[in-house]
Parts: sequence; structure tokens; C-alpha cells
Amino acid sequence: MELLQFSVRKLIAGVPLVIGVTLISFLLMVYFGPDKTFDLLGKNPTAEQIAEVREQLGYNKPFLVRYGEYVRELVTFNFGASESTGEPVTSLLARTIPVSVALALPGFILGNLLGVALGLLAAYYRGGLADKFIMGSAAIGMSISFLIVIIAFQIIFSSSFGLNLFPVRGWDVNSIGDYVSYVTVPTLATVFVALGYNTRFYRSVIVEEMSRDHVRTARAFGVPPAPLFYKLILKNALIPIITRIMFSIPVIIISGSLLLEQYFGIPGVGKATYDAIVTGDQPVLKAVVALTAILLVIVQLLTDILYRAVDPRVSLK
Amino acid sequence: MNAQPPASDTIAAPPERRESLWTKAAYKFRRDRVGVWSLAVVLVYMAIALGVVFGWWATSWAELEGGKWEPPSAEHWFGTNIIGQDIFDRAIYSTRTSFEVGLVVAILATALGAVLGALAGFFSGSWTDEIILWFMGVLDSIPFILFVAAIAYSLGDTPYAMHVAMISTFWITAGRLVRGEVIKLRGQEYVEAAHAIGVPELTIIFRHVLPNTSHILLVQATITFVAAIKSEVILSFLGIGVKDGMSWGLMIAESTQEVLAGFFNNFLAASVLLFGLVMAFNLFSDALQDALDPRTVAES
Amino acid sequence: MTATPLLKVTDLAIEFSTPQGRVRAVDGISFDVYENETLGIVGESGCGKTVTGLSLLGLIPSPPGRIAAGSIELAGRNLAKLDEAAMREVRGGEISMIFQEPMTALNPVFTVASQMTDVIIRHKGLTRAQARREAIDMLGKVGIPAPARRLDDYPHQMSGGMRQRVMIAMALACGPKLLVADEPTTALDVTTQAQVIELIGQLQREFRMAVILITHDLGVVAETCQRALVMYCGRIAEQAQIEPLFRSPRHPYTHGLLDSIPRIRDQRLTQLPTIAGRVPDLLNLPPGCRFADRCTRAQEDCRTAEPELTQAGQSAFACYHPIGHQPAEPVA
Repeated sequence: MELLQFSVRKLIAGVPLVIGVTLISFLLMVYFGPDKTFDLLGKNPTAEQIAEVREQLGYNKPFLVRYGEYVRELVTFNFGASESTGEPVTSLLARTIPVSVALALPGFILGNLLGVALGLLAAYYRGGLADKFIMGSAAIGMSISFLIVIIAFQIIFSSSFGLNLFPVRGWDVNSIGDYVSYVTVPTLATVFVALGYNTRFYRSVIVEEMSRDHVRTARAFGVPPAPLFYKLILKNALIPIITRIMFSIPVIIISGSLLLEQYFGIPGVGKATYDAIVTGDQPVLKAVVALTAILLVIVQLLTDILYRAVDPRVSLK
Repeated sequence: MNAQPPASDTIAAPPERRESLWTKAAYKFRRDRVGVWSLAVVLVYMAIALGVVFGWWATSWAELEGGKWEPPSAEHWFGTNIIGQDIFDRAIYSTRTSFEVGLVVAILATALGAVLGALAGFFSGSWTDEIILWFMGVLDSIPFILFVAAIAYSLGDTPYAMHVAMISTFWITAGRLVRGEVIKLRGQEYVEAAHAIGVPELTIIFRHVLPNTSHILLVQATITFVAAIKSEVILSFLGIGVKDGMSWGLMIAESTQEVLAGFFNNFLAASVLLFGLVMAFNLFSDALQDALDPRTVAES
Repeated sequence: MTATPLLKVTDLAIEFSTPQGRVRAVDGISFDVYENETLGIVGESGCGKTVTGLSLLGLIPSPPGRIAAGSIELAGRNLAKLDEAAMREVRGGEISMIFQEPMTALNPVFTVASQMTDVIIRHKGLTRAQARREAIDMLGKVGIPAPARRLDDYPHQMSGGMRQRVMIAMALACGPKLLVADEPTTALDVTTQAQVIELIGQLQREFRMAVILITHDLGVVAETCQRALVMYCGRIAEQAQIEPLFRSPRHPYTHGLLDSIPRIRDQRLTQLPTIAGRVPDLLNLPPGCRFADRCTRAQEDCRTAEPELTQAGQSAFACYHPIGHQPAEPVA
């Protein structure tokens, strides 16, 4: 009951955010966006034809009415059809989102697990050689552009100039084997890029937790390093870790990795978004923006509930 | 740990803390070998960029000077690209693009963050604060690349859509940091004293409080600089970044066809120069942050 | 005091490396603790008393700290030479420590039950159910009402005094020979302070263990300890039984400390006496006595060589010009 009340309150509190996001994207993309009148007309249109098309497109309606239509589309979850392919936006999303998730998930999980492991290691040997080596590598990893990593990994793993082990690009997945062969190189690239940032973040979180009084207490009662780190310190560090992981979720589900999908030609929602950007496909863009905002509100709610599960001091009031 | 400003004579009192913070930071920074070397590398890049601005070198980056894919030679140090342009010239010219984007975005985004963050922090709990926070949340929630595209749509074909988009999103981190710091500073005696003798609120905020967040702003500006040049490369690669001119991102975009044919010069030139600048700036930023960290300053 | 001491600390020196150089936070101190005895270690903050306490459990943060010299013998075994694994057996088993901040010294995201049973299981090798019974038993002994119910509370659901009782229960659960209590009452309000001090005294008698009470509060020392050592700037200034220490302090620093305690006096004072000056910087110690610059009795010889701790009468003190046998003010 408490949980339900909390959830309802939280979701209502998220309304201004969704309104803000939709309003700004509407203003930028639609209201002040490109005028499509002449795309739909033949050569030398008459004034009546122009007026007719503008009427069709709703350009002559007042601002609030047009924004209201966007909100109605959002609430009824009916964004119409893609302007470039004619595919309904909902079916486009249903088709592309699973691909994005399948593509991004392994790299996301590995990147975070390895990041926590390396962060713990570096924090445990703080100031020592292992710490310096790990953090030095992280600094180098963070300085290499994602773009360069993607291209370099493609050359190294998938081209005849390198190991030539995996398909160069595309996504023709019919079996687990196909999946592994297509997902490996993008995953390696994702992990490579994320690892520097993650390790640095997790190390600083863990070092901060290591300096707490209760860690000294635990040591004064003879707790060995393994349970000290994996149980006592890690559980205290979970709040920032949860925050970081949860807030990456909307990005994975909705935007996907736009760059990755675009470069490897993978038909996920990121590539769909990119295509929509390039062609100015407004229904798709509106749907992507609005869904991201809604998902963020939901993620915020789930994050708060998770905090409660991890830290008894957090109350859902 | 936060040194209390002396609760004494003048209301603009904090200089004692600021001065000691900066002189101690300078002292610590000079002793940080990695920091000094990375700053030197950044300055070399900057000199290269300035040379391009003044037209000392890389003036013929757009000209067709040789054949397709010439190997490196005395004339073309990094060889030529698919249509015979000099890769070295193009890579050098792109340094200027990077610096221009990095500096413009870092300075304006940090300044915007400072102003809005200070207002939100000083009036925290009020409507001003609520609206600024809401705005931060909203801008944070729009996927970055979409936001760039949206700005590009609404601004038409200006070359600055990318800059505007970056500034409109990158100010948020600085804003949040400054807001937090100002909330802390607001409770200190010198601010209360200024209030008590009737100094106007805006004067208090911008003359007395904001300068005390300058160490945060400086570090944040360096972080924003790096974020901006990294984003520029990716946006240019995707075709929604630099429109006219040359940039490492455009070079990499060009090179994607070349690398599959086994010609790596274009890709390597852009990647290595980009990596060097980002790495040096990252290390410089870290050293700066260490030097300015009041916790370590207070101990030494 | 003819028995062999339980704990024998000899010439202990603890060093910290700082950017400006090495600092000796504790510089050659020696003391004994006997079974069933409470020893007070008194001094201002920064005098090295907490570092001394931590060193007994091998808890000096390292780096930057390390034991530079000396030995810490517990029942004949030199703890300074033990490796980390062997030291873990000592911690919480043979020597326990309780800390100043009950608010932060317990782990906020685990229940009291979890934190206590972990310690009991580790040192006594009991099952979880047995450990739980022991924990309830101990909580009862430290005076927590309805211990079986409070056991499953989280620390934030308890008051400061209760948390310190939980810390004490945890510390005593495995029957240590020595309890190091570092300012156990400083963060508590006055009534709770008295209760906790009394509890420690009562449990000390019950368990027949030795207690080292680290504090800056001379009142607490007078109440609970048989013996005390006064530390100044990493060295022992004076060491004596409580009675002579309070009645006729020999070291001017001890005298100054006693003088600065507020108490009901015969004549009204307009101002509480204080010790003038500041503690010297450990990086730039004067060549002679470390207290010389603040001392009203200091003479030429005090500034050339450091006085050694020497036994004279009922006290041991490190001073060339001790306060004589002139009658000191009676202690309240």
C-alpha cells in the first residue's frame, strides 16, 4: 500500500518532466522545424494547393492545438506512420527495440561487472602498483574515442587486414551462433570504452566507502578482506552503483547505441532514430523522445524502490 | 575541511581562502609531473591551432595536391587521401576546429551553468530554483544526438547548431555543481553580513558568492572541453556536426571506406591526433582537480 | 602489582609519512596493563593516544602509517610482529576496541543481528542459531531492553547510547582479555555518558578483563581508572596511580590539565585557567622538552635536551623541574 501510494506520487511528480521534454522537442522539431509543405507538392503549385497541404499538415492551427495533438498521440500511444517508410511507428519500435537490447545488453553487463571488479581491485591496492596500472589504463581507455575503437576493432577482428573472425557488419540472426558472431565485436568495443569510465567511477565510490567508520569497526573485529569488501563495503556502495546502472537503462532501450548500430548496420532503434534524423521523419523522432522521457520517469521510480531495498534508512515517504 | 572565511572586517572577505587555495594549488600543480607534461602537450596543440588561425600552416588543406592514396613522402608527410588531398594538412587544420569547438562550448557552457546554478542555489527552495531544476531535468532527458538534430532543424542550416546543442546540454553539470556549492556558501557569515548591511542580492551572488566557486568552474570547464571535442568527432562523423571546414570526425568518416580497402593513413592521422589531445587534456584536468581539491590542500 | 603484565608495550614508536616528511605521532612510549585493571590514557587531541590504541590492534592505517620501533606484547606474544591473518584472530577475539562515534561506527545497512553474529561465528566457531542466542544474551547484559526484538533492528533505529551499548556487547561477545575504549562517551549526552561508563566498569569486573580507556576527560579517568598515563605530543608526560596523579601531579602539564577542569571551588574564579600556547608542530619539534614553550617552570636545561621518563616516589614523569611536594589543591 505504501509502495503503491509512493509509486503513484512519483509518477505524478514525473508529469512536469514529460511535459517539458515533449514541449521542447515539439517546439524544436515540429513547430520551428522544417516546413514540409513543398515536399508534398508537385512543381509549380497553386496557392490553393499550398493552402490545402498546409491545412492537411495542420500548419495553420494554433500552437496549443498542435501540441495537444502530440500529447494525444503520446497518451493513446498512436504516433502514426513513419513518413519515409510508411511503417506504423509502434510496429517500428516493436521491431527495433529488441534488437537494440540484444545488442547492448552483453556489453552493458560485462562493462559494469568488470568495472566493479577492477574498481575493487584498484581500491584494495590503493596507491600500489596494481592501482596505478589499472587507473593508468583507465585514463588511456577514456581518452580513445568510441568511434575510433569501433573502427579499429572492426579492422582487427572482422577484416581481412586483421583476424577476420566475425562478420564485418549487419545483423542476420537466426540462431545463438549467429547472435554471438554478430554481437561480439560491438560488445568488445562497448566494454573497451565503458571500462575506463566504469572503473574510475566504481573505484572512487569504493574508496569513499572504505574510509567510513564502520569499516574500521569491522576491521577491529577481525573481518577478513574478502567479506569486508564483497559484503560490507559493496552493499554500502550499492546506492551510487544502482543509480548509475538504472539511469543507463533508458539509453539502452530507447536510443540504443546509435553510433554502434549505424556503423555496423544493425537494425535497432538507434539506427532507426538516425535514419529518422537524416530524413526528418517526425513521427519516429517524436515517439523516441517521448518514450525516453516516460521511461526515465519509470526508471526514477524503480531506482527509488531499489534504494529502499538496499538501504534501510531510505523511506518511501 | 572547508576553511571558514575569517568573520572579520570586510564583507568581501573570502580572498584569504581563495588566495591560499590558488597559491597552494599552483604549488601542488607544479610538483605534479604528469600534470605539467600534459599541460605542455595541450599548449603545443594550442600553438598548432593558433598557427592555423593566423594562416601560418595547413592553408592548403582543401586543395588537390597529389594522386589518390599516395604513401607518406617528404612532400605529403602522412600521404594523400582518396581524392589526393594532403592528410597532414587536413589533420593539422582539424586541430583548430577541435579547439574552436572545445573552447567555445567549454567557456559558454560553464558560464551559463555558473549563472543559472548560482541563481538556483542562492534561491534554493524557491520558484526560481524549481524552474531551473526542472529545466535541467528536461534537457537531461532528451537523448543528446536527437537534441543536436532538433536544434539543427529549428536553426536551419547554420554551422553552429552543434555548438548551441552542446552548450544547451553541457551547462547542466556545471550548474548542478555550482548550485550545490552556493547552497553551502550561502550559509556562511560573510554572506549573512552582506545581507545585513543591505548589499543587493544580485551583487552578493555574482560578486561575493560566485567567485568562490571558481575552482569548481575551472575544473568543470576542462572536463567540458574534452566532452565537446569528443562529441564533435562523433557528430561530424554522423553528418550532423561540422558542416563546412574540416575536422577529425570528418576525416574518420572519409576513412571508413578507405580502411576497408587497406588504406589507414587518414584514419590513423585523425585518431592519433585526437587521442593525444584528449589524453593530455584528461590528465591535465585530473592534475588540476587534485591541485584544487580543498581536502588535500588543507592537509599540506 | 607483582603479577606479570597482560600487555607490555615497550618503546613503541609510530610513524606517518606526509608530503613534508616523516612524522612520529607516537615516539618511544612504554607502559604495562595488568589483568582486571583499567588504565586511562589522557591527553589533548593529536597527542597520539588514539594512534596508540589503534596500534594495539594493528589498525594503524598503512600506508601512510607504520610501527617504526618497539614491541607490543600480549601475554608474551609480540603483536607488532604478527602477520595480518594472525592479527585478525586477535582483533575482536583477544583484544576488542570500541570507538568514539556510535552513530557511524556500526554498518548502517546491516542489522545488529547480522553484525554481532558475524563476529561471534568468526571467533567462536558457533552456528548461526547459537551465535544469535549469544548475541541476545550479550545485549541483555549491556542493558538493552527486549534484546531478542532489538537484535533485528538496524543501527539507525537506535539511539546513540543504545548503539554504544551494542558496540560494547559486540566487543565483549568473544570474551576478550583486553578492551580498548577510544573516547567511548564523548559523542553521548551527559546522562548516557555516566551510564555507559558505569556499564564498562561493571562488565570489566564481571569479565575480569583489562581495559584501556582513552579519553581527554579527566573526570571519567578519576571515576573509572586505577592508573593513568598522560600523553603530550607523542610521549608520556606522566604516569601514576590515580590517587597521587590527581592529588599531587608532578608534571606541569598534568597540573595544567587538572587546573583547567571546571569545578566548584572555594573562591570564585573569573576565568578558568588554561595552558597558554599551542602544541608544537610534530614536523618541527623543539630540541628539548616538548612542553617547554608552554611551561611556566621551564628553564634553560628544558630547551636543550629532552627529559626521560623517570620514577620518583609514586609517579613516573618526564620533567627536570617537577612540581615538588607542595600541597596541591584537593580533588573534587
